[in-house]
Amino acid sequence: MNKITKMLMAASLPALLLANICLAAETGSALKNDSMRFEPFSDAKVTGSFTRGESLEIIKKQGAWLQVKTKKGAGWVRLLSVKRGTSSSAGNQTSGVLAAASGRAGTGQVVSTTGIRGLSEQDLKAAKFNETEVKTLESYTLSAEQGKQFATAGKLKTIAFANLNAPQGDAK
Amino acid sequence: MNISAPVLKMHKPLLISALLVSLFSTLSFNSAAFDFEGAIKDTLKDAVKKQMDPQAESASTSAPSTENTTAATEPAFNWKNPSKDEEIALGREISGNLLGAAPLVKDAALQKYVNSVGRWVASQSERPDLPWRFGVIESDDLNAFAAPGGYVMVTKGLYRKLTNEAQLAGVLGHEIGHIVKKHQLKVLQKQQLLNFGAGLLSDKYAKDNKLVSKAIGSGAEISARSLDKSAEYEADRLGVSYATRAGYEPFGLADVLQTLGQTSKNDGSVALLFKTHPLPDERLAALGDAVGSKLDKIKNGKTLENRFYVLKN
Repeated sequence: MNKITKMLMAASLPALLLANICLAAETGSALKNDSMRFEPFSDAKVTGSFTRGESLEIIKKQGAWLQVKTKKGAGWVRLLSVKRGTSSSAGNQTSGVLAAASGRAGTGQVVSTTGIRGLSEQDLKAAKFNETEVKTLESYTLSAEQGKQFATAGKLKTIAFANLNAPQGDAK
Repeated sequence: MNISAPVLKMHKPLLISALLVSLFSTLSFNSAAFDFEGAIKDTLKDAVKKQMDPQAESASTSAPSTENTTAATEPAFNWKNPSKDEEIALGREISGNLLGAAPLVKDAALQKYVNSVGRWVASQSERPDLPWRFGVIESDDLNAFAAPGGYVMVTKGLYRKLTNEAQLAGVLGHEIGHIVKKHQLKVLQKQQLLNFGAGLLSDKYAKDNKLVSKAIGSGAEISARSLDKSAEYEADRLGVSYATRAGYEPFGLADVLQTLGQTSKNDGSVALLFKTHPLPDERLAALGDAVGSKLDKIKNGKTLENRFYVLKN
């Protein structure tokens, strides 16, 4: 290896590292005990399992499924079995493949410059009825027909889907 | 809206006859029951009138300050079995108080957009006939509110966290679910029936025209109260169901719950939300249990981030 190659390698190393960080899969944790499957189908072969709280790496999203990697194995798991981000201290971590999949990438979060204006219990208790604001709110009321036109403009099509019920034998 | 006037006029003879009956009965029997009925009819008429035609109400009151509703126009209320109009009148009162704490964001295009999405999702619910109305309110908190009769409000802080229309549809769907299932109304009813016993209002309370205010507490206190955890899980399930039926990508609400789950519990902007709702992780897990494999075959749901209305500031 000559000197020039070495120098080139040294120069590209930080860039490679950086790229590696950017491409790193999003982390997550298991919300419940669940099994991983070979393909994103409920009847696909089970490739492994994880327990609640276990940390995992999110590789890819496809429909209702996530491709994940744990310390012991890998596979596809249902989207709702996984919590995105490492912990609550992770802050506003919304980068990564999921962000791209949900259209978050490139949108850019707009930061408020007007200062924090909360809505605490005290604020609510002290509130006084505001007739003008209710009237303004009511002035925006749309008809069912107008809603339908809006849906058509977005090419939204209704589908048959029964209301989700509480899981059997669950008080939740 | 125009049909409201004749309907109200038709009620007038009824009211007069009720008054006449009560007048006659005063001569012979104890009139308490009839007076009571008259008072209810009178105040209910006011409530309906106020609901159907707010202009007429403000025109009749000569006082320039209509900010605070006067005691005379507060509706008396059939707590045992409220009519749709009564439900709306109650929701209006609660929403007006909430708007007193946090007014609407002054962006007509935003409000129109949110009403378009909300109206379409509400049309997939079991109560498409309500006059659904939606608003984004000035607050950096992350929260959303529902009041009886079709009033839904989302904070600007929460809206700012959204990135596509499917997520908005999920959030609005959750609130629509609360209204469809009358969660808040049931809490208020329970409280009232406990207060008054089997829905029979005493004379004293019937004549107290601040009845609704009494029920909902001071200001928008009611909006800070928690519902049962089971009511929140039910609203999550309905929110997903309505948004899915509306043609949206079914995991919009789950996306938002993920975002909320990544907000630190010590962050003041989620203090009220986390106090009044199960934590996002629990909600996601419960939703996962209910969904099971039911969404596996749902394809082509839309996220519509291209037409999602981005806040100007």
